Amino acid sequence: MALMQIAEPGQSPMPHQNKLAVGIDLGTTNSLVASVRGGRAAVLPDAEGVAMLPSVVNYSDPDAIQVGSAALAMAASAPADTLASVKRFMGRGAKDAEAAVLRAHYEIVPDTEGMVKFQTRSGPISPVQASAEILKALRQRARDTLGGEVEGAVITVPAYFDDAQRQATKDAAQVAGLKVLRLLNEPTAAAVAYGLDSAEEGLIAVYDLGGGTFDISLLRLHRGVFEVLATGGDTALGGDDFDAAIADWALETTGISDLSAGQRRALQAQSRAAKEALSSSDSAPIEIPGTEPISLTREHFETLISPLVKRSLRACRRALRDAEVEAGDIDNVVLVGGSTRVPLVRQAVGELFGRDPLSDIDPDQVVAVGASIQADILVGNRPEGDLLLLDVVPLSLGLETMGSLVEKIIPRNTTIPVARAQEFTTYREGQTALALHVVQGERELVDDCRSLARFELRGIPPMAAGAARILVTFQVDADGLLSVEAREATTGTVSAITVKPSFGLADEEVAAMLQASYSHAEDDKVARQLAEERVSAQQLHEALEAALAADGEALLNEAERAELQQGMAELRERMAAADVERLRSGIAALGRLSETFASRRMDQTISRALTGVSVESLEEKSS
Amino acid sequence: MPDFDFNQNYFELFELPQQFEMDSTALGERFRQLQQSLHPDRFAAASGQEQRLAVQYSSFVNQAYNSLRRPLPRALYLLELAGMSAEVVSRQKVDGGFLIEQMELREKLEDLPDRVDPEDALDHLMADVRADLAAHQQEFSAAYAEGNIEAAASAAVKLQYLDKLMQEAEQAESALLD
Repeated sequence: MALMQIAEPGQSPMPHQNKLAVGIDLGTTNSLVASVRGGRAAVLPDAEGVAMLPSVVNYSDPDAIQVGSAALAMAASAPADTLASVKRFMGRGAKDAEAAVLRAHYEIVPDTEGMVKFQTRSGPISPVQASAEILKALRQRARDTLGGEVEGAVITVPAYFDDAQRQATKDAAQVAGLKVLRLLNEPTAAAVAYGLDSAEEGLIAVYDLGGGTFDISLLRLHRGVFEVLATGGDTALGGDDFDAAIADWALETTGISDLSAGQRRALQAQSRAAKEALSSSDSAPIEIPGTEPISLTREHFETLISPLVKRSLRACRRALRDAEVEAGDIDNVVLVGGSTRVPLVRQAVGELFGRDPLSDIDPDQVVAVGASIQADILVGNRPEGDLLLLDVVPLSLGLETMGSLVEKIIPRNTTIPVARAQEFTTYREGQTALALHVVQGERELVDDCRSLARFELRGIPPMAAGAARILVTFQVDADGLLSVEAREATTGTVSAITVKPSFGLADEEVAAMLQASYSHAEDDKVARQLAEERVSAQQLHEALEAALAADGEALLNEAERAELQQGMAELRERMAAADVERLRSGIAALGRLSETFASRRMDQTISRALTGVSVESLEEKSS
Repeated sequence: MPDFDFNQNYFELFELPQQFEMDSTALGERFRQLQQSLHPDRFAAASGQEQRLAVQYSSFVNQAYNSLRRPLPRALYLLELAGMSAEVVSRQKVDGGFLIEQMELREKLEDLPDRVDPEDALDHLMADVRADLAAHQQEFSAAYAEGNIEAAASAAVKLQYLDKLMQEAEQAESALLD
């Protein structure tokens, strides 16, 4: 029987009423919420008309947790209870977070498993919990403004966020009671905000220069489909570096070397103020307390930051190559992030792509606005076929193989969702288990990539080395989250894992890993060679050991055996050192040393095989 | 949910002729068209089971697209369809002349830092590799069209060598620029 429907206060009983969905830019410094109302996407301001919510949470009183400006105001009086920039710690372990925590004056809860926790008067708080408080505040704001419960949210993450960081973001939303319609990459969101407004077709470059990181994404918009072609970035590159360049110059110019803490803070603030002023003025004053004021011209400021801007352009060129397009093919350039207000940045980006960048949507709001458009679509408020986003894997996903090398299964910039399978085999005879180590990054050595998860496939039937066939399947869903399955082909033994590691790494680190894979190409090559030679050495050593055990007594005299064992000991020594050339020559030397033994064993094998075989059948075999 | 065959030929999926030459525009169009109807976002309001299926379908389309989009994966896929696995292809013999040429190119790449104008030298090297790639793609195309799978496989192995070399050249270029 049909039940009478009663609308909740604030909810509309109208059946055709649009569902309420929001886009949330959960930022490092500030967060925003936006929604599509009456067909128009816009950020939702608080009661005072302020759109930006500082991403700060104060835990001084467990019964009165403060978020935003109120929390920020308590930072000076209760630094340990006031958590800021928690986005940097999302999905990261205590050890990973140590350096950053030292700078931020937080107290880490010691001996915690998994993600880092901060000691506050309200107890230990994880970055996920603090992020959830920010999301709760934005959810409440949306409820107040829109007059109803939010049905779902699209939350943005940096394109470089890895699996652990994405999962942590999703967890925070769950804690905040928000249904996540999608995790969306920030540059992609920005492109949506422009793409849908202008309804233009073609190639779009999104240049996102924030306070601490730089992202570049290249997309193609074609008949309502946004296809991300490539994404890239650079670490430790942002507005903070511009400030530091100004501060260094000021110190050099004034000749001051020993700064008091107060002077240092003043210099930092003045440098930032000068940078901002120089976006519209030709010069700006800098005055460190107790010294003569100096003046910085825009021209000299541009000289100071020119190397930094050039670095960002190099990352752009790499992304262009990954996307297989030319700079001149780009139809629109979108600027995101406060640091793109610097005129030199605009000019340099304009020159690279040969056109003036778009910035008519506030660069601080554009990400939230784009996310709200995607939320509106995913909640079902727009007609079918309106807009589709095809995003990519930001960093290659792979498995550890012999010699601590990485075998890439899904290369970066592969469109998601994606499933890819690869076959592996056993290394040792009779091996019944296979340890799988899932990593993310561009470098060739496991240690230089991010460890995502480890799991084991057990129950492989004992076979000769290399005989087992193990199919490993990587599946990445539309949120960019990974699951891995391993299956042994002959018996069907299965082991699967949804990669939900207890901690991951920050976007800066991901960008750093990518960056390092380029600038350390030479180191990498040497390290890879060393790893490869060690595998060869190990195999040679094991083979000789087995051969000696089997035929050493029968085929070698005492002196020959001693010589060989001496050579093996020598190789073991070289394997422990990090000299590729010495190791290589060691392998060659032992190879020569064992030649006699090897040929005697071959002779023996052949004669055994020939015993009892008639000449006729031998001829038949060879024919 | 439309019917879907996970064993279907990628060329049939994209409604393209099964050959090495590729109409990239048609491929891209069909790819976007398929994703428009199969992508999980199209099933955001559907049941969990349908959403899971959408992820599988959409993944299959992406995999097919990735296999056809670039020349080397496309060549390997054509060989796979002809009954030659990637492993068998990798054991295919190539002529000694080609290998000597590869070694020379590799030596040039390694000697790059010692050159007077490394960037210029790298440009030349990369142009050479690109020309070789084009030539061996042509070789693959002709052999495949004639139904000479052995010769096509041999050309594919050469493409693999050159592809790897090109990747290393690009890494070297990045290292030079930084």
